[in-house]
Amino acid sequence: MNVLPGVAPMGVPPEAYLAVGTILFAIGLAGALLKRNALSIFLSIELMLNAVNLLVLTYGRMRGDLAGQMIVFFVIAIAAAEAAVGLAIFVALFRARGTVEVDKVNLLKW
Amino acid sequence: MTGATFVFALASGLAIVFALLMVVQKAPVKSVLALVVTFFGLAVLSVQLAAPFIAAIQIIVYAGAILVLFLFVIMLLNLTEEAREKDTRPIQRWLGLVSAVALAGLLLGVTLRAPPAPVLRPGDGPRIPAGDEIPLLGRLLFSDYLFAFEAMSVLLLAAAVGALILSKRRME
Repeated sequence: MNVLPGVAPMGVPPEAYLAVGTILFAIGLAGALLKRNALSIFLSIELMLNAVNLLVLTYGRMRGDLAGQMIVFFVIAIAAAEAAVGLAIFVALFRARGTVEVDKVNLLKW
Repeated sequence: MTGATFVFALASGLAIVFALLMVVQKAPVKSVLALVVTFFGLAVLSVQLAAPFIAAIQIIVYAGAILVLFLFVIMLLNLTEEAREKDTRPIQRWLGLVSAVALAGLLLGVTLRAPPAPVLRPGDGPRIPAGDEIPLLGRLLFSDYLFAFEAMSVLLLAAAVGALILSKRRME
């Protein structure tokens, strides 16, 4: 690991952050695959987004580059837009079908 | 154990434990509240990665805005608990769990064996300064990333209008 001038050395090895981010991503993926409530699946996707944010921040810190923080900033802003639209879709879905269980919303399935 | 290691262990442990709780939890409200703790842990990790601005917007935007929106919708739809009826697709659930664990192992193996970060040459881009990096971040946002910033504002407006139209009742 190279330390750039102006960047303090990291107290914790970057691999530890990468491991935490990867584990959180896998937990989010497991949640997205196992949950049956659309809102819980959406929450798991938010967790996956945040895990990737942590990875991007770590790589940016390893390179001593501010681009990582800018990317995370845009990811958070897009996640906010995505959450607003997604939750509005769930409200509309609940009005139309009376449920947000993904197994019961199968009109377009076959 | 140094202070930085202790804080890292505490924050990452909290984040992982509450992320697991989020997945295990049946009631959506408890899932959201567990995720709040996870996001606080991630914010602490962001501070340790020399990104206090990201940590602040993580708490303000994620914990403060997005998860509160989730809570509003859960209470609006009156979702108390996931249905306890029979699981119609048990094999697919197991396959999902297995593939998530397998992907975690694969990604861990790849990321931990990756070569070290490339050496930066002078003039490769803005660096993280030793002290306060937020003014530099702001300058970057309104110069190199100006187009992305403006596109983002249009996107947020479109999302707000779209959410309004999607969720309002049909006027006959």
